[in-house]
Amino acid sequence: MRYTINTDLKKELKSYGISEWNDCFHCGNCTAICPLTENGFLFPRKGIRQIQMGLKDKLTMNVDPWLCYYCGECSQTCPRDANPGELMMTLRRYLTSVYDWTGLSKKFYTSHKWEYGFLGFFALLVIALFAVFLPPAKAIFTNPELFINDQGGVMINSLVNGITNIEFLHFVEIGDLTMAILVALLLISNILNMYNKVILKDKSIRIPLYSYFVEAWHLLFNFVAQPKFSKCDKKNYWIGHLLLMTSYTIMFTVIVALLPKFQIEEVKPWYNWQRILGYYATFGLLFFLVYTAIGRFKKSDVKFEYSHVSDWLFLILLGLTTITGILIHIFRLTGLPVATYFTFVIHLAILVPMIVVEVPFSKWSHLAYRPFAAYFSRLKKAAYKRNHKIEIAQAA
Amino acid sequence: MEEIRIGVYVCWCGTNIAKMVDVEKVSEEIASLPNVALSKTYKYMCSDPGQDLIVKDIKENKLNRIVVAACSPRIHELTFRKALENAGLNPYMFEMANIREQVSWVHLDRDAATKKAKSLLAAAINKVQFHEALEKRSVEIDSKTMIIGGGVAGISAALEIANSGRQVYLIEKSDKLGGHAKNIDLTFPYFQSAQQMLAMMIKSVENNEKIEVFFNSEVDEVFGYIGNFKSTINNRELEFGNVIVATGLKSIDPTNLGNYAYNRLPDVLTSVEFEKMLQKGEILTKEGKTPKNIAVIHCVGSRNEITHEYCSRNCCMTALKFSNQIKSTLPDTNVFELYSDMRAFGKGCEELYTKTSRQGVVFLMFDQKDEMPTVVKASKGSDCSMYVIMEERLSGESVEVPADLVVLMVGVEAQEDAKKIAHAVGISMCGNDFYIEKHPKLDPVATTTDGVYIVGGCQGPKDIPDSVSQAKAAAARVLATINQGKVFVEVTTAVVNEDQCCGCQTCVNVCPYTAISYNEEKNVSYVNEILCKGCGTCGSACPSGAIASKHFTDKQIMSQIEGLMEMYIAEEAL
Repeated sequence: MRYTINTDLKKELKSYGISEWNDCFHCGNCTAICPLTENGFLFPRKGIRQIQMGLKDKLTMNVDPWLCYYCGECSQTCPRDANPGELMMTLRRYLTSVYDWTGLSKKFYTSHKWEYGFLGFFALLVIALFAVFLPPAKAIFTNPELFINDQGGVMINSLVNGITNIEFLHFVEIGDLTMAILVALLLISNILNMYNKVILKDKSIRIPLYSYFVEAWHLLFNFVAQPKFSKCDKKNYWIGHLLLMTSYTIMFTVIVALLPKFQIEEVKPWYNWQRILGYYATFGLLFFLVYTAIGRFKKSDVKFEYSHVSDWLFLILLGLTTITGILIHIFRLTGLPVATYFTFVIHLAILVPMIVVEVPFSKWSHLAYRPFAAYFSRLKKAAYKRNHKIEIAQAA
Repeated sequence: MEEIRIGVYVCWCGTNIAKMVDVEKVSEEIASLPNVALSKTYKYMCSDPGQDLIVKDIKENKLNRIVVAACSPRIHELTFRKALENAGLNPYMFEMANIREQVSWVHLDRDAATKKAKSLLAAAINKVQFHEALEKRSVEIDSKTMIIGGGVAGISAALEIANSGRQVYLIEKSDKLGGHAKNIDLTFPYFQSAQQMLAMMIKSVENNEKIEVFFNSEVDEVFGYIGNFKSTINNRELEFGNVIVATGLKSIDPTNLGNYAYNRLPDVLTSVEFEKMLQKGEILTKEGKTPKNIAVIHCVGSRNEITHEYCSRNCCMTALKFSNQIKSTLPDTNVFELYSDMRAFGKGCEELYTKTSRQGVVFLMFDQKDEMPTVVKASKGSDCSMYVIMEERLSGESVEVPADLVVLMVGVEAQEDAKKIAHAVGISMCGNDFYIEKHPKLDPVATTTDGVYIVGGCQGPKDIPDSVSQAKAAAARVLATINQGKVFVEVTTAVVNEDQCCGCQTCVNVCPYTAISYNEEKNVSYVNEILCKGCGTCGSACPSGAIASKHFTDKQIMSQIEGLMEMYIAEEAL
């Protein structure tokens, strides 16, 4: 298979991060130092070579960038300061836009107007929906004590004008599920696109059907535990990431799937499972946010040295979501219905655009691409090993 | 006849010899050989105290022959001859036995090594008894110099010699000075104008009354020897004392290397043609369009078995220079450098590579052992007019590189008339027709013919600074001989015994230095002692044994062998 050199690839990549690709002269030090390198699979410099040469088709076929967890040892070892770690990061952003068939991801990465515009649109949409369909009951301003329950906390589902607390909960739940389904559909379609580019377009391999089943547990294992991340030398990043991931998953699950059990009028004692989970998740998110923000601000490690706009935006949105979430909790417990209502609206006006933009189109899409990349790479390796055996058998 | 009194010295060379040879034992046992007046050992014979020891012993013990068993005569024969001279003895009354390179450094058995050292020493003692006193001879030097070739190297040498007030004849084949530099736009790695540099040099030649330039002239034959050469140029008889050959080289013609489609596709150019395009200041395709993609292919005709195995040395950096020039005039044009190894050695060159790679030039590596890059026409409707198909080594992929212009970095080879010039001035060529220097490391501008020097591209591929360095080095050598007024010539030459010579002329044909001529009147051969290097070829070829080599007579060599064998037999008997 002969590939034609694409002369525009490098120009295309410029807005995704590092734009200098020629420093690398392929000494292989990065491959040698990387704890994730496996025999026969040149990692990470293969991707760099594909960019240097303009091999766009090969690059979109390459899942290596998703297998890197950016410990930064390659960048520290690189004798040419070519920064392979950050090059991999840049490639992850680029590949995200490649997998996204809608073209929005590319718009978000390459144009601030599009990204802020989209975020702003969804924020205003949430606010408008509340203003039109779920305005606050007048009484929360005049008789706030009516919304306080026996334990002295705000009855959060009863603050809206004209509807019952059950109806309000339904509204929110329907909104939640609509968002979740929309995001899931986009993400799944992008994964199919990824499958097409990574597996179907690669004519050099044929993957036997049984491999898909045999290797399937890797998909789940990588999704849940990031076993590759744990092989990096800097183990604290893996633990920090596990903390963030579990916190986020808990939060997402309770607000989407378990909302009626989570968002209740009654204030449960602090040791109740809902509150414990909530506190764990809040701690996890806060810890990660503060740690990463300080790291990025101080550039304390190689992986924090080059912060792309999308990295900061991710931190800011998640930070604001967490802080507004904490505020809602405080206002509820201290019996302030007006503050609770408006903070709740602001909370959703940040949370919804964040999920709609980040999960299918930007940084957060890695939650799907990483495990699928690990899965696809296992499939490719299995096919490669199979081909090898055939060759050996023929030689014998 | 005077009594023969030989002084024998065995050197320890620190531990170099002493660790493997029992020097004391050798010295003691050798002392009993006939005519050995004294036998000593010393830590370092070549040191000043070591030499003083010889001088003192010669004077005090009336020694008239000296043998030193130490390292190779290549290293210290001259040192010890000097010591003999200082003691008032003829320097040729000396013989050296090599017991370091030939014994201690190559053997592991101390006893056997000691025996061998003794045998070699016995051979030297035997030979030195038949040594004769030889007299040093010198010839006068004509102060004029002939320089063949008016390129950068030739001009540099001419200016250097003429500026110290000596006459130079500069012979140029074409009607202009400057050689290949005439066709260069900018030089690497600092992008200086070659034309400005050349104009200055040519002006200096024109203004220098000590340089006489012969345009449209070639050298057919040069007669004579160092200090006294003669040649006829344009019907004028010139006399000169030294010759500097600066005939340069030429670029290869890639027409027959089919994969590059040179002469078949209009926009495939050689680096020489592209350089002319840069001189004009316009990079355009044959159709007059600005190329969007330019592929520069390295090693065309270099470093492979089909054409030349050697590296042409200048092409890598010239190619990088091209990339820079393209990027500065056409920043939106994509430049691809197809190379097999990027050779960026020397001052400013690695920096040039880094600078070039920073400009977004794409470097693609091919392996000369694989399929070579192949230029093909692009199908209609493509974005470019050609593709270069190659196996890219660093990615392991087979790729096609878009190109509207292909520049072939052609290698260099020896001039077509290299052989003719070599024959005219009496120098030799290596397998690639480049001229061979006297010593590849220690004497890179001299040749085996005294008074003839080689500089610049005729000796091998070279860039401008290296050519200029060689030219000035050769000029310094020439000026040194001129200033001395005379040079010493080899005394261990061949000599013909006219009574024995039958006039068969075998020697005339075998002599590698054209030092032997035939005297028809007497029907005998005659050796020109100034041209003779004493190599001994004639002596061994002579069917009637009429030629002897001074210092290596049959008698001397036979006695040497006898010494070697006697000691060997004696040891065996023990």
